[in-house]
Amino acid sequence: MTANKIISVAKKEGRTALTEPESKKLLTEAGIKCTEIKVAKTSKEAITAAKKFGFPVVLKIVSPDILHKTDVGGVKLNLRNDKEVGKAFDEITKSAKKHQPKARIQGISVQPMARKGIEIIIGMNKDQQFGPVLMFGLGGILVEVLKDVSFRIVPLTKRDAREMIKEIKGYPILQGYRGHEPANIELLEDILLKVSKFVEDQPEIKELDINPIFAYRDSALALDARIILES
Amino acid sequence: MESTIKRLERAFNPHVVAVVGDKMELGYMWLKSMAHFQGKLYSVQIDEREFPGIASLGVRNYFKLQDIPDEIDYVVIAVPNTVTPRIIRDCIAKNVCAASLFTSGFAESGTAEGRKLQDTIATIAREANFNLIGPNCMGIYNPRLGVRHSMDQTYGRNGNVGFISQSGTHATFFSLVSPLNGIYISKSVSYGNAAVLDSTDYLEYFGNDADTEVIGIYIEGVNNGRKFFSCLKDVASRKPVVIWKGGVGNEGGRATASHTASMAGSPAIWEALIRQCGAIKVENLSELIDTMKLLLQAKPPAGDRVGLAAMTGGQSVVITDAFTRQGFQVPFLSEASYKKFTTFFQTVGASYRNPLDISLNFPHLDRIIKSIDILSEDENIDTVVLEISIALMKDLSWINTNLFDNMIEALADYKRRCAKSFITIVVSAHAEQLALEVKKKLVAQNIPCFSSFESGAKALRKAVDFYHTKAST
Repeated sequence: MTANKIISVAKKEGRTALTEPESKKLLTEAGIKCTEIKVAKTSKEAITAAKKFGFPVVLKIVSPDILHKTDVGGVKLNLRNDKEVGKAFDEITKSAKKHQPKARIQGISVQPMARKGIEIIIGMNKDQQFGPVLMFGLGGILVEVLKDVSFRIVPLTKRDAREMIKEIKGYPILQGYRGHEPANIELLEDILLKVSKFVEDQPEIKELDINPIFAYRDSALALDARIILES
Repeated sequence: MESTIKRLERAFNPHVVAVVGDKMELGYMWLKSMAHFQGKLYSVQIDEREFPGIASLGVRNYFKLQDIPDEIDYVVIAVPNTVTPRIIRDCIAKNVCAASLFTSGFAESGTAEGRKLQDTIATIAREANFNLIGPNCMGIYNPRLGVRHSMDQTYGRNGNVGFISQSGTHATFFSLVSPLNGIYISKSVSYGNAAVLDSTDYLEYFGNDADTEVIGIYIEGVNNGRKFFSCLKDVASRKPVVIWKGGVGNEGGRATASHTASMAGSPAIWEALIRQCGAIKVENLSELIDTMKLLLQAKPPAGDRVGLAAMTGGQSVVITDAFTRQGFQVPFLSEASYKKFTTFFQTVGASYRNPLDISLNFPHLDRIIKSIDILSEDENIDTVVLEISIALMKDLSWINTNLFDNMIEALADYKRRCAKSFITIVVSAHAEQLALEVKKKLVAQNIPCFSSFESGAKALRKAVDFYHTKAST
């Protein structure tokens, strides 16, 4: 399904929030590597998908009405076998129904459990005066407490992407702090440029959050994503 | 009909100016400010009681703009706000190139009537494609032609700095302070509420204006952020643009709303915008002046390595603090340089390691000049910084009666042969009056001088970053 089709389906259904699988499909199409994803309707389907990906896996609720999946008990990490996957499937279904009985549930997504990398956040918001603005930051405490983020107005140039990464105080972490695995900074620049191009090409997108991206020495992987459309 | 920008250019370089509504109550400030205007000046006023006052200024008065026999390039409107729609229609009928509206009481008042009146005049102007500057502004200043909005503004001299200011006070203050610092304006505009023409239009004009080499902006908000962004990006790639953004945070935003009805916007986004466009961000009038001084009066600094020459030990420590705080390196000099120093430099109670502590080598002017020559010739140094301690030199001037003049002359020679950027810091201590005189002489020699180590270091930082960004694009 192309990006335009996903967007038009969502609009037809009268919703502005895209689900995680939809958001990731759009990003993948834009050239941003995301975790593989399979939406399962039954626990049997979930187990089959998990076997195909290889354990451990992650299960997440898929619903256009649930924006904060963890808040409704909709995420289970590090599931190591058939039994754990089956159990998680039932628990997520039950919990989501309990927290948000009216939510339309499209299924539960199965995704390979990604190896821990440096947590990165890339976001896009529309400024009233300047239009789409990209945000870059390191995930977790650095973003939440220290507000260690940088901004650039879309469209970004290569220099903008490089500078907005270098600008954050946590930059040494990306360079590989005290023997930790460094991030591939050129690749992160490339992702920022792709996101910039993507939001430029898709004016229908009002907000975008890729949180987190795991950055590794030779790759980077988007683990979760959320796209909100203009109403 | 000529294009809007062509007509704006005529308004910035007018042959004929008319002032509508100047009066005794204003002290005839507009007509008096235009007293040295090189072209023809007219007044429009219907109140008979004002006629003698206008006549005494030697200005011909008319009842209506349309009665004026010449074509008019620029009109200043200072009538009560309710009359402004009629006067703007008159301007349009008379085919005036541009008018600035001194009158306030529009959107910035926060009242429904004010907003409605602003909409009314904006619609009238837009429909006729008319260049309306303001309202709530001081309009155009062209020193070369004597088009002024304050009687204190200099006239007659052509400059190379364009200044775009949303505030009348900052436009005026910048124009008054800049010549004292050897910075000369080509044209400036105060544009207030930006009901029709906005910062982007002026930026585009100054970007293409051959007289303008460096652009300064005081801005509170923009109407069309995207347009401003792409215009700034384009202009800043051709000319240095220094931006002072007024109204930071919620409280600042409240102030800009009542000052020029502007939406202040997020400080983080403005900062990103300025960096992204390769413009330079400053935070107040002094920083604006200091940064321009560096851009206009010093050679482009090549990097972060400074050679510091202070006149005493204590100053050699704190000058180093000030420059390292701004991210500069104060490296050791080359062996060759040290060898040269040993031939003449008195080291008892002094030092030439970098920072230099000149101390007892004073008042031997030749030793100071030799020292800074070595600094500029050293391969480890990008910029030479010299402290001029007024208090110290005052004490020594009994030995060398023309010490200050001799030094400034020697520094002017030095600047001419120095291949690197060179700045001075004039430290006055108690001798403020004397410091002012020295500063004036330095300005006359086009030697950049700053009034503190911190302000010099900050301005140099901004310049180094600017040239670095420029080189990397």
